[in-house]
Amino acid sequence: MDMIEVKNLTKKFGHFTAVDDVSFQVGKGEIFGLLGPNGAGKTTAIRCLLTLIKPTSGEAKISGIDISKHAGQVRQLCGYVPQDVSVDGEMTGYENLLFYAKLYYVPGSERKRRIQEALEFMQLTDRANGMVKSYSGGMMRRLEIGQVLVNQPRILFLDEPSIGLDPSAKRDIWDYVVRLRDEFETTILLTTHDMLEADELCDRIAIMNRGRIVGTGSPEQLKAGLGGDVVSFTTSAADCSALLRQLGYQLLSRSPDSVYDIVVSNGDREIPRILEELKNHGIVTTSVSLKRATLDDVFLRYAGKRIDESEADWQSTRMTRRTVRRLRK
Amino acid sequence: MMALRAITSVFTITEFELRKVYHDMSQVFIRALQPVLWLVIFGEVFSKVRVLPTTGYSYLQFLTPGVLAQSVVFMAIFLGITLVWERDLGLLHKLLSAPIPRSSIIIGKAFAAGARSILQAIVVFILALIMRIELTIDVVSVLGVLFIIILSGMCFSSLSIFLASLFKTRERMMGIGQAITMPLFFASSAIYPIDLMPDWLKIIARVNPLSYIVDALRALLVTGDFSRLPVDLGVLVLAVIVMVGLATLAFRRIIE
Repeated sequence: MDMIEVKNLTKKFGHFTAVDDVSFQVGKGEIFGLLGPNGAGKTTAIRCLLTLIKPTSGEAKISGIDISKHAGQVRQLCGYVPQDVSVDGEMTGYENLLFYAKLYYVPGSERKRRIQEALEFMQLTDRANGMVKSYSGGMMRRLEIGQVLVNQPRILFLDEPSIGLDPSAKRDIWDYVVRLRDEFETTILLTTHDMLEADELCDRIAIMNRGRIVGTGSPEQLKAGLGGDVVSFTTSAADCSALLRQLGYQLLSRSPDSVYDIVVSNGDREIPRILEELKNHGIVTTSVSLKRATLDDVFLRYAGKRIDESEADWQSTRMTRRTVRRLRK
Repeated sequence: MMALRAITSVFTITEFELRKVYHDMSQVFIRALQPVLWLVIFGEVFSKVRVLPTTGYSYLQFLTPGVLAQSVVFMAIFLGITLVWERDLGLLHKLLSAPIPRSSIIIGKAFAAGARSILQAIVVFILALIMRIELTIDVVSVLGVLFIIILSGMCFSSLSIFLASLFKTRERMMGIGQAITMPLFFASSAIYPIDLMPDWLKIIARVNPLSYIVDALRALLVTGDFSRLPVDLGVLVLAVIVMVGLATLAFRRIIE
């Protein structure tokens, strides 16, 4: 059985459609990622699933339970780590965990053990009695995840789990997420705008842009779907997009500073031929490079631009997420 | 089962709100500054000039219950700002994703605000003792005062949560809080008897829950005349029920 089933989910705020007819399934023990720029509707989508906001239309089931009919049951099964700070700095780490153990009705006889386990799992045992406001960003993040682990959730929702963390803290979080799945078979739905995170962490990905899912698959499938490697070259000549298309190349993008990205099935063999052809048409290339297709290239194909270019404009970001930017450094 | 869980979650919310106060006791003393200043400066001056007729009692006796009520209500009215802050941080979204009923968050936070005011009352009592203000202090009056204070804190903190759910930003809540506190205080029997007011203001004072709170506190601490106490308590309990109800209904809007 699928742990998460979403059918035609739509959420409108006034005239603005934040989530537009979205459907996907997540199997048990799967790490599923919603990948897209800020304002793509990822957070709104998971808030709908968590029964925090009411969808405008569509339906969804968590572990077979209809979210619109049994909100309480759904919340009891889930754990949610929002993007922003969600542990209380004015309490100790231990108190933050105890608070959630009680909020999730963990029986009194089990609380202590579950809290110890969560602390050990997130490697916070030695700092448990320190005030959270003295924690580093990475420690806070670990405590935020630990906080929902006391409930032993079957499904874990992580909103941008590694945003704002330094590279090593980021790696740590990824390790914890994978271990959660491996050791407890937790189903994990995460949102991210980080290509590397999606690529390394997720079993499957749904690419979201402007509220819609524009492509779904494993990172490998999605990259393979592009049809090969990406060759990018720079030229000082005038616009040669038309020429490239005429020659039968799949042009992925052309940046304003005349960097052309084209997709070819077998990059290292094709480069000499490409350069030869361009030269024959009087185009001088100043540099050329070959890279394996990345999810960024995949996003580009589905959404028509690179992920960091498609950060939604000021207004729609504000409409979808009225929260302040995280205060954490 | 459901009811039991709802009650436990109210106490959970209250417990951890109070743990936060325990971790930072300095806020209690800072919050006690305002009532101290009212009694020491305003009270002393007005009791010297004797312009306000407070039949049979000294002006400071008359003022102390008013200042106590005011300090409790003013603190509660700004609770909404904390809530908006918690929403902005992300704390509230996580709290709402827990399986507890929404109403338990309101009641728990309101109850904590009420319980926190007890510390406020203790400060005022100690001050009254130091300033030799004559108050009735026995088991009935102390328990009665605590009961009324907790309900007052709950009433106005729920009002604040209700307003925060509508106005949603800290800046607006600051403005709203300031705009409410002034008329609330001056259109009540806190610092002068209602009889002195012009007729239009009397009407406002009569629907102002603060008047009833002050009246009840004054009966317990100063006059010992309990004849209006049932009405005072009835109004206060009704106000708490209405405010908690409104806050619970509006609360989900705070995250949308």
